[in-house]
Amino acid sequence: MDNNSQGSGGVKSGLGSLFGGGSPGYSNNDLAGVSLTGMSPLSPYLNVDPRYLAQDTDEFILPTGANKTRGRFELAFFTIGGSCMTGATFGAFNGLRMGIKETRDMAWSKPRNVQIINMVTRQGASWANTLGSVALLYSAFGVVFEKARGAEDDLNTVAAGTLTGMLFKSAGGLKGVARGGLVGLALSSAYALYNNWDHITNSSSSASSRLY
Amino acid sequence: MEEYIREPCPWRIVDDCGGAFTMGAIGGGVFQAVKGFRNAPAGIGYRLRSGANAVRVRAPQIGGSFAVWGGLFSTIDCGLVRIRGKEDPWNSITSGAMTGAILAARSGPLVMVGSAMMGGILLALIEGVGILLTRYTAQQFQNAEDPSQLPPKDRGLGL
Repeated sequence: MDNNSQGSGGVKSGLGSLFGGGSPGYSNNDLAGVSLTGMSPLSPYLNVDPRYLAQDTDEFILPTGANKTRGRFELAFFTIGGSCMTGATFGAFNGLRMGIKETRDMAWSKPRNVQIINMVTRQGASWANTLGSVALLYSAFGVVFEKARGAEDDLNTVAAGTLTGMLFKSAGGLKGVARGGLVGLALSSAYALYNNWDHITNSSSSASSRLY
Repeated sequence: MEEYIREPCPWRIVDDCGGAFTMGAIGGGVFQAVKGFRNAPAGIGYRLRSGANAVRVRAPQIGGSFAVWGGLFSTIDCGLVRIRGKEDPWNSITSGAMTGAILAARSGPLVMVGSAMMGGILLALIEGVGILLTRYTAQQFQNAEDPSQLPPKDRGLGL
């Protein structure tokens, strides 16, 4: 480091003064030559440019081929599985309610239990399949949009939701497509809004509260 | 994707359920599209509409049954991992057998045993292929010679 060469002259003269009994301390000439690169406001002992110490973002080390957040494809299976299971639970409860309501006049016997179990499994399977296929279509469209645009944001979400709604109700003719598309648009816009709520409300409110 | 990283156990069940649904829905969709296309009156409009209808009705059902299989298999697998405290192929084989048995529970004990055997053998084949693949890909990383057998380097000039 470049301040050592000047400093060592001062040390030598200082040591010489200890052993030789000469004038104590460093001469002004020696001190004037010491460079001040190490004098940071944090500490004069830190020989580091303070610009390198400012860290306001998380710095993670990523292995090759990995990106910071999960892409849509990796989230897809979780979304689809979650929708399937939610649909199955909801359908099971719905089937239980319907089964008990329809067999109200029967006594508690094996045929009644079998009826109720049948309703539960059928409704559970039906709802699971419906929600699962909706999630599958949504994920597939989302991945297609992400790859086609090369960017990931909420526009992908809304577009994928709209297309899913349109395709899902495509059996109902043009009116079915329009209605399904509107429902898809509404639901996916609500989801995108929910995701960005903090961002939207914070940016429109008072000035930022950062300390620097 | 360089490595396929699996989720930790509770979320693995949801992932496997979704993966199985996707496989079943897409595979079943392709099958049903072809079947509906073929079993339709002559004329491209009829054929396409028949294919689309068959996909719309049957593909979710096939996906759903695959999803049930996958979800149940993964649940039993995670349970066995938790109980035994280790992960190895025996967990998967046992889970496959138990899944087959549970899903055939309404048809009586004999069918349950047959279904369990089918599930176990299927999983054993899958795990066997996986193990062979692991051994084969590990071979290419083996060192050519053992470093301790090399002749000792003589200490030449320089530090």
